[in-house]
Amino acid sequence: MLTLALAGLRARGSRTLLSALGILAASLVVGTGVTVGYGLATGFERSADGAGLPDVIARFDPERRTTVDERVRALPNLAAASYRYEVLNAPLTANGHHNHRGAVNTIGEGRRGYEILEGRDLAASRAGEAVVEQGLAKEWDLHPGDRIRIGRELGELTIAGISNAPDNVAFPLATTARVYISDATVRERLGFTPDDANVALLWLRDPAKADVTLTQARAVSFGLGKLEFVTREGVRVLLSQAAGIVISLLVAFSLVALVAAGTMLAAGAHADVQRRLSAFGVQRALGFSPGRIAALQATEAVLVAAPAALAGLAIGTLAVAGPSGELLAALNERPPGGALALPLGLALVAVLAIVVAAATWPAWRAARRPPAEILRGGDVRPRTGKEARGGLLGLGARFSTAARGRFIASVATIAVCAGVVVLMLALASLLERLRDDPGTVGKRYQLTVRAPEWMLGAIRDVPGVDAAGERYATEAADSFRLGESLKLVAYPGDHTAFEAPPLAEGRRVRAPDEVEVGLGLADALGLRLGSTLAAQLRSGAEVRFRVVGIVRALESSGRIGWVQPQRLLEGDPDLAPGIVVRLDAGADRAQVTRDLIEVGAPPKSASAATTRSGQFLAVLASVLRGVGLAVGLVCLYALVQALTMTARERRGAVALLRACGGDARAVATVLAGAAAAVALPAAVAGIVLEWAVFGPLVARLAAGFASLPLAPAPGHVAIVLAGLLALAAGAIALVARRVLREPVVAGLREE
Amino acid sequence: MAVVRARGLVKTFGEGRVARRVLDGADLDVEAGEVVAVLGRSGSGKSTLLHLLGGLDRPQAGSIELAGVDVARASERALSALRRRHVGFVFQFFHLLPELSGEANVLLAGRMRGAAPDAPVRGSELIDRLGLRQVAASLPHQLSGGEQQRFAIARALVNDPSLLLADEPTGNLDAEAGTEVLRLLRAGADEGRAVVMVTHEAAATAMADRVLRLGDGKLEPC
Repeated sequence: MLTLALAGLRARGSRTLLSALGILAASLVVGTGVTVGYGLATGFERSADGAGLPDVIARFDPERRTTVDERVRALPNLAAASYRYEVLNAPLTANGHHNHRGAVNTIGEGRRGYEILEGRDLAASRAGEAVVEQGLAKEWDLHPGDRIRIGRELGELTIAGISNAPDNVAFPLATTARVYISDATVRERLGFTPDDANVALLWLRDPAKADVTLTQARAVSFGLGKLEFVTREGVRVLLSQAAGIVISLLVAFSLVALVAAGTMLAAGAHADVQRRLSAFGVQRALGFSPGRIAALQATEAVLVAAPAALAGLAIGTLAVAGPSGELLAALNERPPGGALALPLGLALVAVLAIVVAAATWPAWRAARRPPAEILRGGDVRPRTGKEARGGLLGLGARFSTAARGRFIASVATIAVCAGVVVLMLALASLLERLRDDPGTVGKRYQLTVRAPEWMLGAIRDVPGVDAAGERYATEAADSFRLGESLKLVAYPGDHTAFEAPPLAEGRRVRAPDEVEVGLGLADALGLRLGSTLAAQLRSGAEVRFRVVGIVRALESSGRIGWVQPQRLLEGDPDLAPGIVVRLDAGADRAQVTRDLIEVGAPPKSASAATTRSGQFLAVLASVLRGVGLAVGLVCLYALVQALTMTARERRGAVALLRACGGDARAVATVLAGAAAAVALPAAVAGIVLEWAVFGPLVARLAAGFASLPLAPAPGHVAIVLAGLLALAAGAIALVARRVLREPVVAGLREE
Repeated sequence: MAVVRARGLVKTFGEGRVARRVLDGADLDVEAGEVVAVLGRSGSGKSTLLHLLGGLDRPQAGSIELAGVDVARASERALSALRRRHVGFVFQFFHLLPELSGEANVLLAGRMRGAAPDAPVRGSELIDRLGLRQVAASLPHQLSGGEQQRFAIARALVNDPSLLLADEPTGNLDAEAGTEVLRLLRAGADEGRAVVMVTHEAAATAMADRVLRLGDGKLEPC
């Protein structure tokens, strides 16, 4: 069986190679999808388990450790606790780098809540050592044994180890860089034994009952100022939601590639079986059973698919292992390492199963027919219902559509690919607009000014300024679910003059006790129209609002609310507004900026979704365009496959054309007709698919955050059409070259 | 004057021990208006000879001159042009494209870039002359064998070639249809073309001006 299969594959060398390339391409995509998707999906749990991340992290104003410990010990469901004293904005210097945003944590005894990735942990008895977070170590190229200077008092310390704690993203994505030192170091360098704490790490016996513990913690927190909680579950949900969109896209893309390869292979196998029907008939006449013929086909499929799929998965995995590791490291998550072997193994099995099924099924069906019938049907004859019109182009189109199954599979594959490419382009553009255009996130102002309120009149008088107003913004925590942070934005009067995120439900704010909340916040807190949002401000005061509207907001992941400022000012009288400036349509922004500087109110450009993530969004947009390009290659493969199959099937017809004097141009024209018959309906179907299915589907995936306008733009449609045209031209050139290299008589003999 | 002149043609198939030399120094001159019938056993190289003469394949040695072009050394583009304007092929199995009507099959060669300018008109005339007008719109599978071969002859003549090559043109036809096809080939020669026909049929050799036998790779008069 193996010898026969190998002989069959050798005899169809070029077709075998083409199939192997298709399987390799699809497996490559699956490999990248599995590597990135699995890494992101499991990264947090893996790192949290490795680090022994606490179930609750409480931050508060400095207090004696013994006092805090007394209250913590009284909590129900508590398994363990440890305490730290965290100093923010500490100057750090090492390896020629300098930063003023160090978060220096003095840690006492007990569990750490971080994992040592390199070197060793701090020892209670050893002074003069520090552990630095891996983000800082990577950014500054620090290793155990290197020296780091922390401010003047602490001086230079030796780095004992590199740590990782996934309760926050890594430096520099997080603005602060975490460094850990021991009590012994403080004692030696500063001359006192630390006794205060402003961070408590709590491990619970039953993490599912964290909400009960938090309620109790709130009850016993009397005297602790500015208490804030972060829960492990809260961090996990936040990261999962963000990663969810990427994972969904990758999984969808992998499936598309797999289905595309599967349908193309199935179509190829079907055509191959049609060509070999007479051989099957002879084999049956010689006593081969249908099962043996199908098994032979399956063996051939495995022989082609196994090495191709292995190579594809390996290349895909290796290609993205680096970037995926970087991404996970930026999120303070560990790459999956050996754990990736299982999903990759499953992916290999899935690819092999699809390929074998696609290749074997047509042979099994054909071989089950009576041998005489198979022998009679051994010749492939295209359908001949109506005459082909439109000259050589029309003839090519007719060649292409003659094999209905393959034609439909090709159109479907290319349509799906075209739809995905349009989607990727739309997403990439959207990300760039989110980065650059404040209007995308509902902001109607273009400039912000740090100036006292009394300057409002002067600012409004500047030519080109349409409107200017006060804007209050503050961070807060939900009083009921203390781990949830949110942002409150307030405008005196109607906020839609300056910020108008699209309303999903309800109405706009009209009174001081009302709030419009973002979808992300509504989802996180279970808020509905009429619910109460109770927010704890930084001052410690609690303010309550009635939810009257739910809006599609992107800023702060949708965890944001718009209110009128009265209640915020009652709760936090120190809250100071900024001034936002809306420009006239067509105003010269540079001129307005100069005029504002002149009146003593230097402006800044309004940020879009987020300024800190701007670079990340740009990278993501590039990645999406890269994915679009990769899908384009799948398109090229599908087109080449379709044209090659057509040219092989109609080898005799093409040879006859050449015998009648048809030159390279005539052959290319026929192939162009065949390509157009596939590519044109596929392009239209792809655009419709994106508009009606993919766009809304992805927008729905992100509905927890915001509304994403992902309808295909004319520019994207033009790019896809031009791309398909170029791919078709490439495919035609490739296949025409092959066809023309073949002697005319070889084709005539087959006919 | 010879329309086609072949000298010392050599063609071998396969390599090493399985190599088979089917043409081994074959010479042939065919004059305008002459019908030459080539006989020979199966596998003796008759079809190969036609393929070489028509520029569908190249000899390993020897030369072929057709319409002032050295066929053995011409570029692919030149060969395409040569086939388009100077050679007409008639095959045993007709080789009509099943997607095209009989008339469209005839006009296919005449509509290609570089075809004779009057080819469409000539094609239409040929259809009338060969009595195919009534079935001109039919697809090949709706035609009889004789009708299909007549369409194939019309297609071969549409560019008014100087050389007509017929590979067992009556091999797949009944006696009556075969006679009609031979009559058309003779008429083609009478219009000033050179006709080379590979055949096994006695009737075909009877209408030929010369009959040659291909044996041991060489052409000998019968």
